[in-house]
Amino acid sequence: MNYSPFTDWLIQNGISAQTLELLVATTIVATIVSIFRYLFGTRSYGIYAPIILAIAYSFTGLKYGLSITLVVILISLISYSVLRKIRMHYITRIAINYCLLAIGLIAFIIVIKKYGLGLENISNVPALALISIAGLSDFFIKQFVQKSLKTSIMTLVSTVIVASVGWFIITRDYVSSYVINNLWILPLLIFVNLLIGQFKGLRIKDYFRFKSVLKEKDDDTKK
Amino acid sequence: MIQRSKYKDILGLNRRNQEYVRPYNSPSAKRLADNKIRTKKALAKEGIKTPEVYKLIRNKQQLKFLDWESLPKSFVIKPNQGTGGNGIIVFYGKKKGELAWIRPSGDIMTKNDIILHIENILDGRFSMGNKKDIAIFEERVKTDSLLKQYSYKGVPDIRVICFNGVPIMAMTRIPTKRSDGTANLHSGAICVGIDIATGITTYAMQMNTSSLLSDTYEDIETTQDLRENKPLRGIHIPDWDNILEIALKCQRVSKLGYIGVDIALDAEHGPIVFELNARPGLGIQVANKAGLRWRLEKVKDIEVGSIKKGIRLAKSIFGGEVEESIETISGRKVVTINEKVLVYHNTTKGKKEPEKEVGRAFMDTGVLTSRISEAFANRVGLISTTKYFNSLNVPKKFNSLKDAQEYIDNNVKTLTLEENIKRVAKIVDGEDVKVRPVVEVKVKISGEVKDIEAVIIEDSEYHLIIGRDELRGYLIDTTKTFRN
Repeated sequence: MNYSPFTDWLIQNGISAQTLELLVATTIVATIVSIFRYLFGTRSYGIYAPIILAIAYSFTGLKYGLSITLVVILISLISYSVLRKIRMHYITRIAINYCLLAIGLIAFIIVIKKYGLGLENISNVPALALISIAGLSDFFIKQFVQKSLKTSIMTLVSTVIVASVGWFIITRDYVSSYVINNLWILPLLIFVNLLIGQFKGLRIKDYFRFKSVLKEKDDDTKK
Repeated sequence: MIQRSKYKDILGLNRRNQEYVRPYNSPSAKRLADNKIRTKKALAKEGIKTPEVYKLIRNKQQLKFLDWESLPKSFVIKPNQGTGGNGIIVFYGKKKGELAWIRPSGDIMTKNDIILHIENILDGRFSMGNKKDIAIFEERVKTDSLLKQYSYKGVPDIRVICFNGVPIMAMTRIPTKRSDGTANLHSGAICVGIDIATGITTYAMQMNTSSLLSDTYEDIETTQDLRENKPLRGIHIPDWDNILEIALKCQRVSKLGYIGVDIALDAEHGPIVFELNARPGLGIQVANKAGLRWRLEKVKDIEVGSIKKGIRLAKSIFGGEVEESIETISGRKVVTINEKVLVYHNTTKGKKEPEKEVGRAFMDTGVLTSRISEAFANRVGLISTTKYFNSLNVPKKFNSLKDAQEYIDNNVKTLTLEENIKRVAKIVDGEDVKVRPVVEVKVKISGEVKDIEAVIIEDSEYHLIIGRDELRGYLIDTTKTFRN
């Protein structure tokens, strides 16, 4: 691949092309998260979860990524529902959850290997990506405990949506090759975030949420 | 005039944080509001009541030595730095002879269950940033009987948002079966808007659980899951001015420029402050069907000296939702007891743009037929009529209604000769019985134009007195009696 002179210089000086690509991908997904949060009003498990998830998906592919996510959440849900009934400290409970998660994922891979189910390449999924997705369990349970199952599932869905959008953008070849050769994009992203950071208008979600207030204003002839 | 975009009336999360929470709520003030124990202490200094604390559990050691026998039958456990009502458990009663307490749902929690819950609180599971926390054993507020009838077991609270020393908007949150007796909107409690001026409830909503989008509400008219459901509009919150005053006092004490104060009405102690909120939610706009943003902007630059002035300002600027709402409930219009009216000139009937006079009218349910003062009648083109009638030399007063009727019967033709005089009427004015002419005038009251019959009387403090005949179909709001 031909790099721009500046990118070439960076690579010559010890930054691997993959590190560069991943770092740039992180900034892009981070910006996507802030756009989703402040312009659309989408809740996600912080900013770390969608970034890690998007990058993990870029290693696993969306199909494998989403199915692993589903399995992770199902196992967490079942294990936590049982564990919450046992009296113990919170962290120990989460630790047991991770043990069950590991067992569950091993079983899942074995089952897939045996029956296929359209995921025949599961063994090629990088382990680090798998573990990154498993980390979602922690976020999921925390919200389940603090708020409610419904809230946590809603947040999970939006986190996965945001991560999938991130995955889609960072895995486009033209995007990654363009960005890696045009690193002025990074200061541009800072600027974009500065702008979003100043945005005071309504989020898309607010329009739905306050629909009834707006409707009332239409009928109001007094004002 | 350019119409202000309706979206601009609404406060969204972005603007709330950037324009109100961050600039007006200092980190130290926020820390105070986020800490229930410190809040209680600060409020107590100013004489503001908060629920009584029975016990504080700061660590597992203290939990171990807790004297369970000394706990009352009903109490509440709260995390000191909890958010959004998480981790709060209410106990209604105690199981006889056992160390077990009953929750609003009927579930029973034993000593061991409660210990586990407190351990979770201490671990910071319900607290901001999962920091170590303190568990509070607190008095269970016993709801005032009025609000109690609308609520399923728990305690309804009243949220007042204040900004710059002015109460901006208010709502009450009513626990339901679905919310398991909590006033948490996300769990299904009902929110009802309150008119700031009168303390009367306006619109009621409940969060739509079937909707995939979180935070969407649906309009409701009555309570949902009580044995006998009651309408939620038009409830008069007792002690309203006192509630507003307490909310503003809390704002002063906490130094939060933008604050949500949660107040409950205790059957014995009256208004009692539950919580101060440095980042009050925006759902209150839905409950009131009104935007916060224009209200906040209206009071942004006003110098509000005293608490009383803040309340007065709020009442005159933001009051009034109730009038419309009562209209929708009863199909009746609301008029104030003193109302400005427009009276159309008699001589310009039929013209495209008739001349009008502004007059002060008094709504008087004590008289049947409306009255118009002679001077004002002259102004609206009835001068020839009054002149004619005065030229008849009708006796100034009669000894009895019977005499007056006799006089009318004998002179009816001359008395009604003038074209504008529809008939003559005998009226009681003070102690005198009089005979006066009745005319028809076109009047615009509360946006509605109608022809009314009015007796011309000699003099009156008001240009018009609107009598019972015309007040059918109106509700008279007496709260503004003494306002000019």
